[in-house]
Amino acid sequence: MSRSKKVLVVLAVMLIIGAAASVGQAAEPSAKEQEAKLIAVLKSDAPQKEKSDACRELARVATKDAVPVLAALLADEKLSHMARYGLETIPDPAVDEALRDALGKLKGRPLVGVIGSLGVRRDAKAIDALAKLLQDSNPDVVQTTARSLGRIGTSAAAKALGDVLANVSVPNQLAVCEGLLRCAETLAAKGGKDEALAIYDRLRGLQGPHQVRTGGLRGAVLLREKDGLPILMQALRGDDFVLFEAAARTSLEMPGADVTQALAAELGKLPAGKQVLVIQTLGNRGDAGALAALSAAAKSGEKTIRVAAIHAVSQIASAAAAPVFVDLLGDADREVAQAAKDGLAALPGREVDTALAAMLSQPDASVRIRAIEMLGQRRNTSALPAFLKAAEDAEEGVRLAGIKALSDVAGGDEMPAMLALLMKAKSPQDLEAIEGAVAAICIRLARPAAGKVTIQKAIYGGLPDGPSADVTQKVAEMVKAGTLSVEASNGNFGDPADGIPKKLRVEYTVDGTAQARTVSEGETVTLTATVTPPACVDALCEALALAPTPPKIALLRVLRSVGGSKALNAVRAAAKDPSAEIKDTALRALCEWPTVEALPDLAELSRTSTDAKVKTLALRGYIRLIPLQDAAAEKKVAAIKDAMALAERNDEKKLALAALGAIPTADALALVVPHLASPDLKEEASMAAVAIAEKIAQSSPAQVAEAMQQVSKATANKRVADRAKALLKQTQGKK
Amino acid sequence: MVEPRSLTNPALATRLTRREFFRTAAVAGAALMAPAVIPASALGRGGAVPPSERIVMGGIGLRGRGMGDLQWLLPEGDVQFVAICDAQKSAREKVKQVVDARYGNTDCTVYPEIREFLATRTDIDAVLSATGDRWHATAAVMAMRAGKDIYSEKPSAMTIAEGQAVVETARRFGRVYQTGTQRLSEGNFVFAIEIARMGRLGKVHTAYAHIAPWDAAEMRYDWLPAQPEPPRDVVDWDAWLGPCPWRPFNQSYISGGWRGFYDFHTSCIGEWGAHTFAQCMAGIDQLDTAAVEYHYVNNPTGDGMVTVFPNGVKMILSRGDKYWRGSCGMRFDGPEGWVSVADGYSKPEVSSPALMSDFKKIVGDYMARTERPMSHMRDLLNCVRTRRPTVANPVVMHKSMSTVHAANICMWLKRDMKYDPVKEEFINDPEANRLRSRAMREPWII
Repeated sequence: MSRSKKVLVVLAVMLIIGAAASVGQAAEPSAKEQEAKLIAVLKSDAPQKEKSDACRELARVATKDAVPVLAALLADEKLSHMARYGLETIPDPAVDEALRDALGKLKGRPLVGVIGSLGVRRDAKAIDALAKLLQDSNPDVVQTTARSLGRIGTSAAAKALGDVLANVSVPNQLAVCEGLLRCAETLAAKGGKDEALAIYDRLRGLQGPHQVRTGGLRGAVLLREKDGLPILMQALRGDDFVLFEAAARTSLEMPGADVTQALAAELGKLPAGKQVLVIQTLGNRGDAGALAALSAAAKSGEKTIRVAAIHAVSQIASAAAAPVFVDLLGDADREVAQAAKDGLAALPGREVDTALAAMLSQPDASVRIRAIEMLGQRRNTSALPAFLKAAEDAEEGVRLAGIKALSDVAGGDEMPAMLALLMKAKSPQDLEAIEGAVAAICIRLARPAAGKVTIQKAIYGGLPDGPSADVTQKVAEMVKAGTLSVEASNGNFGDPADGIPKKLRVEYTVDGTAQARTVSEGETVTLTATVTPPACVDALCEALALAPTPPKIALLRVLRSVGGSKALNAVRAAAKDPSAEIKDTALRALCEWPTVEALPDLAELSRTSTDAKVKTLALRGYIRLIPLQDAAAEKKVAAIKDAMALAERNDEKKLALAALGAIPTADALALVVPHLASPDLKEEASMAAVAIAEKIAQSSPAQVAEAMQQVSKATANKRVADRAKALLKQTQGKK
Repeated sequence: MVEPRSLTNPALATRLTRREFFRTAAVAGAALMAPAVIPASALGRGGAVPPSERIVMGGIGLRGRGMGDLQWLLPEGDVQFVAICDAQKSAREKVKQVVDARYGNTDCTVYPEIREFLATRTDIDAVLSATGDRWHATAAVMAMRAGKDIYSEKPSAMTIAEGQAVVETARRFGRVYQTGTQRLSEGNFVFAIEIARMGRLGKVHTAYAHIAPWDAAEMRYDWLPAQPEPPRDVVDWDAWLGPCPWRPFNQSYISGGWRGFYDFHTSCIGEWGAHTFAQCMAGIDQLDTAAVEYHYVNNPTGDGMVTVFPNGVKMILSRGDKYWRGSCGMRFDGPEGWVSVADGYSKPEVSSPALMSDFKKIVGDYMARTERPMSHMRDLLNCVRTRRPTVANPVVMHKSMSTVHAANICMWLKRDMKYDPVKEEFINDPEANRLRSRAMREPWII
């Protein structure tokens, strides 16, 4: 074939290969056809790249038919590796023959490669030839040969390696040892236990690389199974730290109580430096048979060892360890006591709870406190009666511990008892703690309200007054895709305020009930309305009706955090209480009410209250809730306009301006603009005006342009000014 | 220089306790109360030199991710980092600069050649390896063979055969090995895994594993245009290629442009699956096996591929952010709820807030029961001392990476597959079985 015809053929083949350069592409020819084409490439004068690709493809599809052409490339320094790439996976003895044949013809890296491939293929027929190469002057040849003989792993391979070990040069010693270890693994797996043991025993005693002795010991012990235990213990007791460490590690691969017992029995006889590792090994084994020895180690002696023993007991996680931990809870050493406390908290099992419950009857208050804390940490519901009893203990510390445990563990069933405790609180501290516990229980009992979540508005950025982005659509899409938890992150929303800590504010409704949440960057907002069970609210309201003043005040605060219509009505009623103290608390609760249901009350209070403080708080609450309404923008603007008229202080006016900034209408902008002339309000007004203008620039360009001209003159904030200028540029000349 | 400390130095008798975890909920951890480490410098002398409390470490191939790992490692009080090996001069010099600045000296030694590095630095106990993917298994095997323990970045291996070699070498020489799947040591991920394992979601029927949203399952086989090879001292191109097939030098490869190439990368599936498969397998208690069924999906990425584990639980590969927001996400679904987490979450996402109520207790109990710190690097260092396997030990990583490799092979051969995780072979599919290994370029044959 002429050169030009050859090139044409090759090009045609290359087109086919190129079209299916990756394995497994559609519409491929049969494997046999592929192989023929790939062989043709190798026989041609195609460039190295194409031949290299062909070798890789042959690794997947080639048969013995490809062996001669691949073998012919073994001496080619540029393609020798890829030839082996193609050969190594061909399931035919012709490959082994070709590789063996190449051994005597190659030098340097191609030889090293062929030796490696013979190892990969575990070609026992190559042992004699390989054995000779153990004497080669090239360390790469010797080392690869040693490992390949190891892979072949027969008695003959082991003998070849064993024969050279005594006189091998230092650079090659490790490879010969590795070869022997590999042989031992294969021999052991194929019934040659004695031969394998002979190798392991020789290597563990070798004055050579530490990792070889480690491997030798491991094999010598594990292969002997139970009979290997004396060897393990000998290493554990010996002066050779390498073998000591290897013994500890090897024991982790040896199941069985006898091994645990042997290690445990040795513990007390070892020097401190070895004890810690053996203790940790016993912990890692997780066998309860070591508990007695570990408990003894935990009780006294050097702190390092005691703490290690406590951790090891924790790992074993047996309830039988509970008494040991309990004893140590009061240890004079704080670190020991804390380790015991941590261990006890994590220990599973009823026996642990029983041991802790027994501590509750101890006369020493500190013991009782520890037991209550532990039972609380363990979320032990069976201890609830004990917690309630403790909450009435004569000792204040015990009472507070009991209340804290109730706060963490109690549920709806305990609510009546909690309210009874509230009624008869022994001190202001107790009252405060019980109020917190009741509120915590209500929050824990609250469940997400099932309902349709509708996103009304979402803003992400340097809230309240830094640069931000409207992410309403993005959040709405996330909700539509089934997510109710939204993280405030640049990953979700980009970065509208580089270098500024950002917040995400989401306004939404659940079945038409307005909700709003603001979270800091990195936090997640869950878009649900949580509802406290009605029975719980009923109990709070009933208690409120009967409570004397101090607990009534506490209950009003709890009701504010619970929310809901019934709670709001109870607070409204209390706002008319003849007691000034109760009335004041109720009014404040109204002013801080979290949902829009309180809007009418706040509107009224902000107009009519004769108490200046209440009036201010009500106005602030009113302005806060106006944007949350499920109402038309016009209505919201009108309400804010009313609120601004009522505001006597700039603080509330600023709040109103910020609220207006979130309503993108021309009316809202018109309400903001006059305040641009106020020296005290111009910055807040500027920010609100820009925020609105960015949303309505298309629909109301003339109004925006006029407002932005005023903003440009009013603001000293460069970021705001830049945004105003951008809007001016966008809207100038448009009507 | 850090002076060796006494065996019972109370400063070492600390760890990240449950209380500390409760207080900080942080991931940092102090040194485990642990025995001293036998200094590698003594190991060749009959083991008769007493233990030290300092772990001497060196690095292999530390650039982007590796520099991050280094910054994670250097503050550990019981570590002294002494040497860096890299085929690229600029990279090794940069590491030296960082290390010397940290210690206030000029002691960090640079090595261009890995065999010289491992053979001559007998004082080094453990190495941090963060080469490109192509070198991970080879470097790990060479380091462990040289008697070093190792923290090796993921993916642990380019092929199933390489993974087997890592497992065998660690066992053979009694070495400690940790793969850089650090989320196995992060509270949010541990919590999600724990509640899945504990049955809080009911019997989990499906796990979702995030695969990288860039690149594809289909690989590149082209060569970038040849450029003049830099002097060997600047870039040792032959060493850079390591066990991979030769190709001409191009600057793009050594600047991170190796991703997506068959010879150098494990596809978009391996890029994040190296993390997320292990995470999912931990939550469904299948860390000691591999998926047995792989259902081909007709798209370029593997998005939506269903794999099935021996216990019947499905693991579905997911490329987008349908189940999470952030990188390396995972999710477990059971009849009683779901939990989902990815990087950057302040807390995992759950189907019901009640599932989150015991977050700190669940993570704290895990730490007490397993003695695992919420710091992946610390876990390695603790295990260097205790000699026990790490949380991301060779078997864990080989089994999860076998699942990655099998998923890739399923995509490459475009057909459903069944895999026998005991025999580590595809069932009735000789063609697939031939893709379990690749001949390594000499002299980098392990």
